[in-house]
Amino acid sequence: MGLLAAGIGAGIVALGAGIGIGMIGKGATESIARQPEASGDIRGAMILTAAFIEGVALLGAVICIILALGIGQ
Amino acid sequence: MFQTIRRLFLTLLFLSISTSHLFAADANADSDEPILDVMGTVADHDYIKHPFGKIYLPRIIIWEDAQGTSQFNIFGSTKKATESGLFADVNDVLAPADGGHITLDLSITSHLIYFWAGMFLAVFWTLMMARRYNAGIGKDVEPKGALQNLFEVLFVFIRDDVARSNIDANKADKYVPYFFTMFMGIAFMNLFGLFPWAATATADLTVTATLAIITFVITQFSGTKDYWGHIFWFPGVPTWVRAILTPVEILGIFTKPFALAIRLFANMLSGKIMIIAILGLIFIFADIFGSVVGVSVSAFSVTLTVVLYALKVFVALLQAYIFTLLSAVFIGMAAEEHDHAHNEHHTEHAH
Repeated sequence: MGLLAAGIGAGIVALGAGIGIGMIGKGATESIARQPEASGDIRGAMILTAAFIEGVALLGAVICIILALGIGQ
Repeated sequence: MFQTIRRLFLTLLFLSISTSHLFAADANADSDEPILDVMGTVADHDYIKHPFGKIYLPRIIIWEDAQGTSQFNIFGSTKKATESGLFADVNDVLAPADGGHITLDLSITSHLIYFWAGMFLAVFWTLMMARRYNAGIGKDVEPKGALQNLFEVLFVFIRDDVARSNIDANKADKYVPYFFTMFMGIAFMNLFGLFPWAATATADLTVTATLAIITFVITQFSGTKDYWGHIFWFPGVPTWVRAILTPVEILGIFTKPFALAIRLFANMLSGKIMIIAILGLIFIFADIFGSVVGVSVSAFSVTLTVVLYALKVFVALLQAYIFTLLSAVFIGMAAEEHDHAHNEHHTEHAH
């Protein structure tokens, strides 16, 4: 049961993080295309925001690992 | 002299990488461990591996015996601890033989060794370069050699793009040494993890939590009146909103370093597990469909692992950068001084 929960959870985590980071990438590339001279600042903001999303996603991933290994049961 | 040292290091590096694979087969043959020990490769151990075997590390234990008196013992290794008769090995965990319990296990572990190694390299490199700058190389004349050029690129990057762009200009420079130590230390720790036999210290939650707690403490101590004001008495909102905002803001103080620790830990851990899992596919397929399929899967697995390794080098540096950048952002948010007088002046004009 823990394995099933971990599998489903990891899938949802990947889905959410993928959508989030994809939207950041879309926003960043569009703004770089619109304003190429600000690409350095945009890239910095992009990495920072992606890191925040990744943090939340990895939090979910850690919980999946805990579920899969059955720690705390 | 530098040339000689560098050449020596490179030779050692190549030797250690190439020989580890020759000896890996022997090591697997005489141990009764399963072929795929996923958690074993990422967990903390009481030994460090090197290409020719293992070095057992000392155990430093503060414990209470059955009578309740505190004792302090140092053993050369886990084996010596069990041989002394004071401790017994219960499922690979040391426990006092007479039924007492361990109060504090201060043993030196593999992750601690690599933590020290990463920090030592960072400090060593910085001090070496500082001597050069004091001698005038890099200040009066151009920096010499790959080591110093790389150092200068990294240092200027941390100073300008991490510290100065996130923290108030008059305060930023005071934090640069901390950010640079963090960046170099974490980068070295992450890169150590790429060696086939080495352990990734940052794939251990205790290590990343320690680093995050240091950032947390610095953030609180550099907090200005405005920072604390925004937490306990958020300006410009009705009082009943503050009843909701204050708990959230107080919670926010602690979630920031928590996310910092989890991010670095999970990134390094997942990178390691991913490689093991993909290489493990070879054995799983060989086990189910026979060795022919296993060999053909290995062509796919090994190629993917090579690509993943290149990605891991990038991720190792990126995560060190992100940890430092987010530390800078958090400290910058705390150290920021709002121009309240200016705002009030504006509102008076508007009235």
